[in-house]
Amino acid sequence: MTIDAVYLLQLTLNGIALGLLYALIAVGLSLIFGVMEIINFAHGELLMLGAFAMCFALPVMGLLYWPAMATAIVATMLAGFVIYEGLLVRLKPDEFERSILITLGLSIIIIHVMQYLFTATPRMVDSQYGFDGVEIGAIRITWTRVIGAAAAVAAFAGLYLVLRYTQFGRAMRAIAQNRDAALMVGIRPRVVARNAVILAAGLCGLAGAAISPIQLVTPYMGQFLIFKAFALVIIGGLGNIPGAVVAAIGLGLVESWIGGFFEIAWQEAAVFVIMIAVLFLRPDGLFKRGGMRVG
Amino acid sequence: MKLLLALLGALAFAALPLVTSSNYIIGVGISALIFTVAAAALNLVYGFTGLLSFAQLGFWGIGGYATTLTVMTFGGNFWLGVVYAALLNAALALVIGYPILRTNRHAFVISTLTFALLVALIARDWVTLTRGPLGIPNIPRPQAFGFAFETTPSFYWVAWAFSVATIGFLYALCSSRIGRTLIAIKQNEPLVRAQGISPMPYKLASFAIGAAITGAAGGVFAFHLRVIDPGFLDFYYMQTFLIIVIIGGAGSFWGVIAAGIALSALPEALRFSADFRMIIYGVILVAAMFVMPTGVAGWLRERKIARMRQALQ
Repeated sequence: MTIDAVYLLQLTLNGIALGLLYALIAVGLSLIFGVMEIINFAHGELLMLGAFAMCFALPVMGLLYWPAMATAIVATMLAGFVIYEGLLVRLKPDEFERSILITLGLSIIIIHVMQYLFTATPRMVDSQYGFDGVEIGAIRITWTRVIGAAAAVAAFAGLYLVLRYTQFGRAMRAIAQNRDAALMVGIRPRVVARNAVILAAGLCGLAGAAISPIQLVTPYMGQFLIFKAFALVIIGGLGNIPGAVVAAIGLGLVESWIGGFFEIAWQEAAVFVIMIAVLFLRPDGLFKRGGMRVG
Repeated sequence: MKLLLALLGALAFAALPLVTSSNYIIGVGISALIFTVAAAALNLVYGFTGLLSFAQLGFWGIGGYATTLTVMTFGGNFWLGVVYAALLNAALALVIGYPILRTNRHAFVISTLTFALLVALIARDWVTLTRGPLGIPNIPRPQAFGFAFETTPSFYWVAWAFSVATIGFLYALCSSRIGRTLIAIKQNEPLVRAQGISPMPYKLASFAIGAAITGAAGGVFAFHLRVIDPGFLDFYYMQTFLIIVIIGGAGSFWGVIAAGIALSALPEALRFSADFRMIIYGVILVAAMFVMPTGVAGWLRERKIARMRQALQ
């Protein structure tokens, strides 16, 4: 089989765009895990809510992409706030299994309420960019993908700056590194955890809004993505944010290449095979966790 | 006393087809028996050993497909199929259990979840073996010694015998020294190590036995439905098993059995809309985690202890 360079480059670019969207989800999971030591099962549903918000906001705003995306992000942040104050705040640290079961219940409720209200029919989302694309030589990428990738990169840069240089972000890292010491210097875990959940929800909303013009929007879309994001968080090392980003972009590339050259079934299985292989070699993930690192 | 009650309960259940002639009620009874077995297996893994495993769903599906394919594709019979399903699952559980049990408990949960998802994807995508989304319809009823378990009431007894045998086995296991070791591993693993017991073989054995029993239960259930498709791996089943274990009380053997029988009737009673049913399941799960995290059995135990304290004062 000869490999066509243009085709390969096209797959690579698509893979990077896909990987960046995975990374948005995985980073949020990693952030919540780092601060609260819990796994948010309902994270995919936040993404789904973001996509639905985009889907409803776009026609109202005359198909303008950016205001609709901002609406979606604000909507999911609100949802994150409600979830934290309603449920997660009652969890004590080290109640991992309980957190999973509670957020699992929440995810069942959200999915089926959405399905009850809006039916399971997949929705197409049209934006001001439609299916227009940018062409570089023989390669063509749709604008929605380019913008999704650019928004993800901007979000990561913003997240890096926030975690590194603001009191808000430093408090999160402090809690993740040493909870007791952070308490001693007067950081309130409750407030920090709430901020982390809202921030992660916002990232998820961004991912949902960016995905909605690329994929069909259904109440189940979050579930497919969240399972992959879970595996990515494991591969990258639980609570390790750069690890999750690297693993996510890597997976996007691998999936895109496999999808381009092999049977489509292997594309979905890749993530699991990689995860088992990584766990065999390094039980703590590729990048071992040493507190919540940002750089 | 408890054993006597259980024996009476089992005999009462055996009499169900004699009491009613409604195939619908007997069908619900079959589901109740099989779900209870699967929940008891999950209880062994989660309630006793403390491993929250979502892989049970994958084993359930593999068991269903293995039994069906033994009969439909490879020309074996139902009984062999159930045995193959159990053996295949036990072997698979050992292979994937070893790497994922070495990780911490967070990674374990997520890896088992991903495994369940992968099994569902394979069931959908390996079309040459599983016929993909079309599924395999018209699964024949089993036969033994020239007698075909053709009707629903006669198949009910197959399911009954299967569940009584496996629940009896699980009870013997859980109340033995092995069962106590598993509880000790759940409660304090460093202490178990300090006593000179290596936790890994116990965890692996518990995971593999749970997988084998779940797989066999899946096989029997596929022959109850008489059709298998990727919907057999719907997350709904996992949620049902989990809710049974949590409401019954993780780590309480008879609590989970009682909850299994009671809650399997619930989805049938709530059959107004599939979505609505799932919403209620979700609400029950969240509420149970806050109101009685140790289940009904744990709640009763706390009441009993409180009463004893009061009597002492």
